[in-house]
Amino acid sequence: MNRAVNPRDLNVHHDDGVAKGDVLLEVKDVSLRFGGVKAITKISFDVRKGEIRAIIGPNGAGKTSMLNVINGFYTPQEGTITFRGVERRAMRTTDAARQGIARTFQNIALFKGMTTLDNIMTGRITLQKSNIFAQAIWRGPALREELEHRHRVEEIIDFLEIQHIRKVPVGRLPYGLQKRVELGRALAAEPALLLLDEPMAGMNLEEKEDMSRFILDVNSQFGTTIALIEHDMGVVMDISDRVVVLDYGRKIGDGSPDEVSKNQDVIDAYLGVPHE
Amino acid sequence: MSPAFLYFLETVLNGLMTGVMYSLVALGFVLIFKASGIFNFAQGVMALFAALTLVGLQTGQVPFSHLINAIFGTEFHHFGWTLPAFVAVVGTLVVMVAFAYLFEKLVLKHLVNQEPIILFMATIGLAYFLEGFGDLMWGADIKALDIGIPSGGSFWLEDVTREWATEGSDYFGMYIDKLDVVAALVAVALVLVLTLFSQYTATGRALRAVADDHQAAMSVGISLRNIWVIVWSIAGFVALVAGIMWGAKSGVQFSLSLIALKALPVLILGGFTSIPGAIVGGLIIGVGEKLAELYVGPFVGGAIENWFAYVVALVFLLFRPQGLFGEKIIERV
Repeated sequence: MNRAVNPRDLNVHHDDGVAKGDVLLEVKDVSLRFGGVKAITKISFDVRKGEIRAIIGPNGAGKTSMLNVINGFYTPQEGTITFRGVERRAMRTTDAARQGIARTFQNIALFKGMTTLDNIMTGRITLQKSNIFAQAIWRGPALREELEHRHRVEEIIDFLEIQHIRKVPVGRLPYGLQKRVELGRALAAEPALLLLDEPMAGMNLEEKEDMSRFILDVNSQFGTTIALIEHDMGVVMDISDRVVVLDYGRKIGDGSPDEVSKNQDVIDAYLGVPHE
Repeated sequence: MSPAFLYFLETVLNGLMTGVMYSLVALGFVLIFKASGIFNFAQGVMALFAALTLVGLQTGQVPFSHLINAIFGTEFHHFGWTLPAFVAVVGTLVVMVAFAYLFEKLVLKHLVNQEPIILFMATIGLAYFLEGFGDLMWGADIKALDIGIPSGGSFWLEDVTREWATEGSDYFGMYIDKLDVVAALVAVALVLVLTLFSQYTATGRALRAVADDHQAAMSVGISLRNIWVIVWSIAGFVALVAGIMWGAKSGVQFSLSLIALKALPVLILGGFTSIPGAIVGGLIIGVGEKLAELYVGPFVGGAIENWFAYVVALVFLLFRPQGLFGEKIIERV
C-alpha cells in the first residue's frame, strides 16, 4: 500500500514517542477476580513496539480476560497497565480505543446489519473530528473528512482483498470473511497496538494461511504492534516473535517460541503430568 | 363514481392520515429501541411535554408560575410577550436536548448493563415524573397550539370530489383535514432525514453500530453514553413533532400522553426495530380501524376504532411476532 506524503495521512497513533523495540505496553502484577473466581493472578509481561506477541495457554487460562483488561472491558483489582508511558488501572474502553488500542473478538463482534464498508468505516470513529451538526448538513470540512476516511478504508479493503464484498451486509458473509472484515475494522483505527483474539479459530488451512499472511503484512508494512491469542501452535510458533504462556490465570512461560516450547512447565500444562 | 365508492376512498384517505399520526409516535419508540433495546414507555409523555413547553414558550407563560406564586405570594403568570413560532420551536428543541442529557446523566448512566426490564421500569418512572413535572411547570389546563399550520377541511377538494359523484346523489364532497396532510408530509420528510442521517454520516454509522452490538461499538471507541444522549435527543425531537401535530389537532391536554398506547399495535405490526415498519404499521392500523368502523361498526354498535388496532396486533403476534419488518428472532439452543 502506498503512503502519501500528505501529513494529514500520517498515522497519528504510530507517532507515539515509543521507539521500535522499546516497551509499548507493560502489564504489571495484574490480578482479576470475578467474585471468588480468580481469572488472572499476578501476571506481568510486556509488549515491545513492532513485535508480534502471542499469548497462549489451555482453555480457561485467562487469555481473553487478559485482552479484556488491556482494552478496558475489565478493571483488574490489582496491578497496573502502562501503555505508551501512561500508567493506569481502570480505564473506559472508549478511552483505550482513543489511545490506539484496537481489537478483534473470539466470537466475531461485527455490526451484522451493516455492510463491509460501513463496518470498516466505524473503525475510524476515533479519528473523526467533525461534530454531529457539521455532519448533519453534509458539507465543508465534514464532507472532506468523510471522503478522506473513505479513501483510507478503501485502501484497507484492497489490502485485505475484500473488494468484492464491500456492499454486502456482513451477517451474510461466511465465517472466514467475517474474520477478515473484523481485522479490517481494527486496522482502520490505525492502532498502535492491535489485539487479536483467536484470529484463526474455526478456519480451514487455506483461510489460516491467508490470515497469517495478513497478520505478518500488517506487522511488517504498517509496523503495527500485535498481541494475539491463538490455539494453533504451528501458527503461533511461525509468526510470533515472543510468546507468553498462561495456565489457570498464572504465567508459566515467557520467551521466544523456541524457549517456550522447551519449557517443562509449558509442556506439562499442555500434555498433562503423569500420576506418580 | 358511486357515492359508496367515494365514501370508501374518503375513509381510506382519512385512515392513512390518522395512520401517519400514529407513526409519528411509533417512530420515537423505534429510534430508542433500536439503539439501546429500551422500550421507552415515556415517549407519549415526551410528546405531551414538548407540546406543553412549545405552547408555554410561545405564549410567554412563566414556568412554575403556580409554584412561585404560592411560595412568594406574587401574582405572576405571563411575561407578556408572544414569541414567533420558529423561535419557540427552537427553544423547545433546546429543552428536549437538555432533557435527554439530564436523563442520561441522572438515570441511564447508573443503569448500564442492567436487564431490559429494569430500564423499562425506569422509563415508566420517567413517564410519571415528566407528566407531573409538565403539570407543575406549565399548568394543567387545556391549551390551544397554533404555530400557523393550516387546518380545517379543504373546500377545493370538496368541490372537486362532489363533481365525481353520480348525478343527483347526496354526496357532498370529501372532507380531509389540511392539518393531516401537513402531518403526512412532515412524517415523510422526517423519515427521509433520519434515514439519510443514519446512512451517510459518521454519527449515523455510530448509532447503527451501537444498535447492532454494544461491546463491539465500545471497542472501536464509540462512547455509548454520548450515543444515548444523541438518541434521546432525536427521540425528543420526534416527540416534539408528534406533540405539535397532535396538539394542533386536538389541543394540548394531558390525555395526549395516551397516544403512546395507540403506538403499541403499530409497533407490533411494523416491528420494534424498523423505521419503515413504524410508518407502514401506522398506515395499516389507521386505514384498518377506519374501514372497520365504516363497514363492521354498524353491526356491533360502533366504536370499533377504539379496540380494532389491539385485536389486529393480537392476531399479528400469533403469526409474526417480530412484526412485518422486524429482525427475525432466532434463538439458538
